[in-house]
Amino acid sequence: MELFQWGTNPWGQETLIRVSWDLLYLFFWAGIAFIVFHVVYAAVWLPKLARANGGQEEAAAAAGIPETIERHTLWARIFHWVMAASMLVLLVTGFFPIIGVQFAWVTIHWIAGIVLTISILYHIVHATFYLDFWSIWILPDDMDEAVQRVKRQMGQEASEIKKHGKYPLDHKLFHTAVMLAGLAVIGTGLVMMFRIENALVPRNAYLLSEPTWGLMYTLHGLGAVLFVMLTLTHIYFAIRPDKFWLTKSMLFGSVERERYLDHHDPDRWVVNKESASKS
Amino acid sequence: MADYKLIGKNYTTPDILAKVTGRAKYAEDFRAEGMLFAKLLVSPMPHARVRRLDTSAAMAMPGVEAILTADELPEAEAPQEAGLTNEPLYEGEPILAIAAVDEETAAEAIEAVQIDFEPLPFVLDPMDSLRPGGPNARLDGNTMAGRDLSTIKWDSVDWSEVDRGIMPLGGEVTDEWQVGDVEAGFAEADLILDESVFSASLSHQPLETRTAMAYWQNGKCFMHCSTQSTARTEGGMARWIGIDPTDLVLIAEYCGGGFGSKISSSIQARIPALLSRKAGKPVMMRVTRQEENFFGRARPGIQARAKFGFKSDGRVVAIDLTMVQDGGPYGRSGDYMSCADQASLMYQPEHMRVRGMTVYTNTPPRGAQRAPGGVQAVAMFAPIVDKAARQLDLDRLDIIHTNAPQGQALFGRPRQGRQGNVSSAFPKEAIDKAREEFDWEGMKARSGQRNGSKVTGVGVAISSYSAGTSGVDGLLVIRPDGMVEIHTGVGNLGTESFSDTSRAAMEALDTPWEQAEVVWGDTSKHLPWSAIQGGSQTTHGHTRSNWAAGLEAKKRLQEIAADRFGGSADSFEVGNGRVFRRGNRGQAMTFGQAAERAIQLGGVYDGSQLPEDINEMTTRSATALAGRGLVVAAKDNFETGGRNMSFCIGFAEVEVDTETGAVVLKDYKVASDAGTVLHPQNFAGQVHGGGIQGFGVALGQKWVMDPQWGLHVAKRFYSNRPPTILDAPHDQELAWSVADEPDPFNPLGAKGIGEAPVGAGAGAVLNAISDALGGNVDFNRSPIMGDMILTMLNPELDEAHNKLSTHV
Amino acid sequence: MAVIRDKMPAFQLFQPASTEEALGVLDQYGADAWVLAGGLDTWDWLKDRVKKPAAVVDLGGVSELSEIRSLGGGLEIGAMATLRDVIRHPEVSEQFSMLADSASQAASPQIQNQGTLGGNVGQDTRCWYYRDGWSCYRAGGNICYADTPTAMNREHAILGASRCVAVNPSDTAPVLVALDAEMVVRNSTGERVIPAQDFFIGPAVDIMRMTALQPGDILTSIRIPWTWANTRFYFEKARDRAVWDFPLANVASAAKISNGVVEDIRIVANGVAPYPVRFLAAEDAVRGRQVGQAVAMEAGELAINGVRPLRHNAYKVTLLRNLVKRSVQGAEA
Repeated sequence: MELFQWGTNPWGQETLIRVSWDLLYLFFWAGIAFIVFHVVYAAVWLPKLARANGGQEEAAAAAGIPETIERHTLWARIFHWVMAASMLVLLVTGFFPIIGVQFAWVTIHWIAGIVLTISILYHIVHATFYLDFWSIWILPDDMDEAVQRVKRQMGQEASEIKKHGKYPLDHKLFHTAVMLAGLAVIGTGLVMMFRIENALVPRNAYLLSEPTWGLMYTLHGLGAVLFVMLTLTHIYFAIRPDKFWLTKSMLFGSVERERYLDHHDPDRWVVNKESASKS
Repeated sequence: MADYKLIGKNYTTPDILAKVTGRAKYAEDFRAEGMLFAKLLVSPMPHARVRRLDTSAAMAMPGVEAILTADELPEAEAPQEAGLTNEPLYEGEPILAIAAVDEETAAEAIEAVQIDFEPLPFVLDPMDSLRPGGPNARLDGNTMAGRDLSTIKWDSVDWSEVDRGIMPLGGEVTDEWQVGDVEAGFAEADLILDESVFSASLSHQPLETRTAMAYWQNGKCFMHCSTQSTARTEGGMARWIGIDPTDLVLIAEYCGGGFGSKISSSIQARIPALLSRKAGKPVMMRVTRQEENFFGRARPGIQARAKFGFKSDGRVVAIDLTMVQDGGPYGRSGDYMSCADQASLMYQPEHMRVRGMTVYTNTPPRGAQRAPGGVQAVAMFAPIVDKAARQLDLDRLDIIHTNAPQGQALFGRPRQGRQGNVSSAFPKEAIDKAREEFDWEGMKARSGQRNGSKVTGVGVAISSYSAGTSGVDGLLVIRPDGMVEIHTGVGNLGTESFSDTSRAAMEALDTPWEQAEVVWGDTSKHLPWSAIQGGSQTTHGHTRSNWAAGLEAKKRLQEIAADRFGGSADSFEVGNGRVFRRGNRGQAMTFGQAAERAIQLGGVYDGSQLPEDINEMTTRSATALAGRGLVVAAKDNFETGGRNMSFCIGFAEVEVDTETGAVVLKDYKVASDAGTVLHPQNFAGQVHGGGIQGFGVALGQKWVMDPQWGLHVAKRFYSNRPPTILDAPHDQELAWSVADEPDPFNPLGAKGIGEAPVGAGAGAVLNAISDALGGNVDFNRSPIMGDMILTMLNPELDEAHNKLSTHV
Repeated sequence: MAVIRDKMPAFQLFQPASTEEALGVLDQYGADAWVLAGGLDTWDWLKDRVKKPAAVVDLGGVSELSEIRSLGGGLEIGAMATLRDVIRHPEVSEQFSMLADSASQAASPQIQNQGTLGGNVGQDTRCWYYRDGWSCYRAGGNICYADTPTAMNREHAILGASRCVAVNPSDTAPVLVALDAEMVVRNSTGERVIPAQDFFIGPAVDIMRMTALQPGDILTSIRIPWTWANTRFYFEKARDRAVWDFPLANVASAAKISNGVVEDIRIVANGVAPYPVRFLAAEDAVRGRQVGQAVAMEAGELAINGVRPLRHNAYKVTLLRNLVKRSVQGAEA
């Protein structure tokens, strides 16, 4: 298996062209393997969460926690689905021709890329100024907890683990991976606009030096093949019955108080009357 | 014309049957026992240095027998080339050669060579090298100042002008001359045209590439190569191989075209010779078409500023030229200087100033190409004179006539303050004749005629070029079988002048051509010292030398007859293969009998005793032939009277489609002053063949290079578009006429006709295109192609390049 | 590894006598096989060692592929019929003179003797960067060297480009599209018939191929329906040299004209795009109208709608406009 695809420049010197598409298949099958592993793991090994919230419901009601809690604002949901749609379009237009399904993909690809870029820009501003910015980042506590969880899982003695805040660690990890891969494909993709005919920038294949272009294509490819895996696993989780309440929340915006209390630590995800779902 | 029996008559040349039946053997057709094939590794970059070279894998391949690298060649003195190099200065420059049992293996061995190049700064356009801070093509400079490599940058010129296609004035140059006072000349001019003009570089493209095969036997190197000249190849080739000329046997009976690129063969021919010595086996190096495009030489492009001052009657009073020649990476080609000389000859300005230089570029090496400088002169300046005729409301043929030289006109760069003279010039007579014969008035009447979107254009242009040399040797043997062996070292380029000039000897002997045998193209057959077969030297030079040999033979025959029959030598005459007493034909000897007698007499008759003034090579050959009959060697000591020049005036009729830019050549006629015509069929071949080559200059032959990488993109035979026979007009036979004025400094009145026709074809077509477009267009460059025409006609289209742009 | 060009490497040569046999070899070698027709495109590639197939399948011995015959619905021309065969065939001249005309303007007389109709329509582009082995998009790289700020692209595309700006150089292809021909393609799984218009594909869809032919496929014949037989034809090729030159642009049109009114027309150009371009808007504008200068000019303008000229080929816009105009006006105008 090759990691990179090398070519020669007009002077016969070796030059980096892009990642090897072997990686596409590698990441695809890695995603599938993860899903298979997780299905088995979830069925036989994952400790069932005890319904340990008896009596909490009343207390919660008393504390003013509404019955349905807004988890994702309308704008956040719109962002998510726009991003998801553009991402799917990008993956299909980017990879289908490589696996042999040929169609005129470039224009759709770059337009989807621009949509993705705008949606991400929106997201950055929105999340920074209008959402609980730190809720999605991996913080020192998360790492601590992760260690304890693993210990417990391995049957070792572990300190008591609190429930998550708004986003569990796996969501945060996923977000981080998406963010890194996303920045890679968007950053490089925008520069790659100079290599194709489009309405926004003039073509200039010599904008960057040859090795820099090679790096751009390679990073774009790496980000993209990573997205294949991330998207596969993301969809898998989204359709798992035990996670479906989360998917619903991305569709409708809210979670039920019961789910909230099951999965979240009210101290870490502070909910009050204002958090009631407006829908 | 004087009453000749052979001169001026058509006949069958001795090589033609073998050529048309395919029996003629060119360099590539030879085989020798155990022969290996060589392939070249050539530079992929326009300028680089070999950083690492590992040939071990290649040499380990079965069938690979020898390798030759640049390190094994004597270093060439800059700016000359060695044939192989570790610092390639242009794309396609050979780095090393490998010989193997067959070409497939040799090619695979080349691919197995591990080589790493360090790219170095390169430059394709002379202007870029002259720009302050611009790159130099060579690490040791960008031009030759006198005998030294040096670097010149134009700090003081306005470079924004260059970006707009205006050739700047005031930059430092390496060469300068002046006659008269140009400023005073312009002051008295009624019309001044000041133009930036450009003529493109283009490859020679001979159909036979410069293939060579060599082997060694008993210390002698046997070389089969492609060359225009034979005698003048021997010394250079021996030097390239590093042997004495007497240790070289050069075989080159046929040459598939050279156009100046193979005057003395090519330095690359040393590669198979040296590989053969190393491998101990014969080595054939077949040069591919692509390699031919790389190192097969090219005409240098010239970027110029041309200021012409005219009187109201069309007379050119002053010319001021500033020229920069694209010199390629090697050598010292000086096309711009001969370009100026030809302008001086054709237009006869009283005042002229020339400033010029060659700037090295990382593009293929340049060399003389059929009328070097002359073609560029016509391509750049004929449109200016044409434009002046329109602006002064003069007939366009008249203005050529007005300025054309006459008699022993002075021209060119002055030596010791004085211009030299032409030996004879009859272009005015040629024009006067052609005006009637070609119906110039009728042609003019068709100018501007429209047929839908197609417009007829008529163009005329004069072209001049050198047409002869002198002082070379003739050598012939009258054998006991009565045949006259005429030895010639001029080579068989394809012009047939090796044979045409041999007829001078038979004319002198007043003997039928059937009794002649021409010996040529093989130094083992004992050839005399001859002119180069280039620069149109041979027709003039070798009619003189063969006439001298013929007269000398005649004299010896008369002496032999006098010795046999008694009486004085001048009471005998020579004719029809016999020497006989005037008034008593019974007292006669056949050439065969005279030859036998010559052998008996020895001394000056059988070649044992030779004239002192002949060249050493001729002495060697004549000595080898001594005793085989009446052996005569003679030096051309006839009077000379100036530089020999020929003239052609081309008349072209084109049809330009204003909607597609397509140019169709409808007719082409050429008038010339080239002295006595030796061989009419062949003469027509020269004036029209050269004309067609000129059509290529005018209509499409060029290089295209990618400026980012410095590489050719149009290097295929079809993509750089030399003209084909179907580009020539074919509705009727192409007409030609001659002034038929013998040159006074040739016993037969002959002058060469190889070069001048090219410029005539180019200039006439360029002017005809302008004429079709209404005359007041200024393409100011060649070639003119359909895209340029459409761009000219549709102002909304942006120009893709400016007038001075190179290789686009 | 050093590069050497202009010397053909060794390959396995197959000279099958039947199409089946040829298909068998193609199947055996897959993408490493190369189908050889007249060789005019092939030998260039092979000599430059830019493409190095393991096996070359020479169709020259498959006589069934060079037949020209009349079918019920039209004329079937075997893909291996030479351009000369096409030019000389009486039925081609009588019914589809435009095809003979275009074939006689392709390349040179010598090449017409050797080149085949199948080869002419199936030939690869002549982009000089790509043909010289520059590893561009079309060669699997990630750059188009012909569309950079300094590129030499006088002969490249003004329409239909997508990353790659190479053009389809065929002279017969636009004629076949104008005549609504069908390409018969066989492989080991069977036969498929592709309309000429869909046979040619642009880089937007597949940047590495010019036609719908895949490894294992052989173009066996070309069928021209009688639909456009003997209608008013117009073919013109603009080129730099009188011979042995690819088109800067060419145009082919077939028009059904009755009483000076255009009942139907098909207008196709090549040399301006990576595939023969059909000008539907121009056709629509012309249909139902009287032939004349105005309608021809309008068609010309419509044809250049959406062009994207490169640095050195803006002239092609004017050229294309004028050629389309002339193709509507007809040769008599």
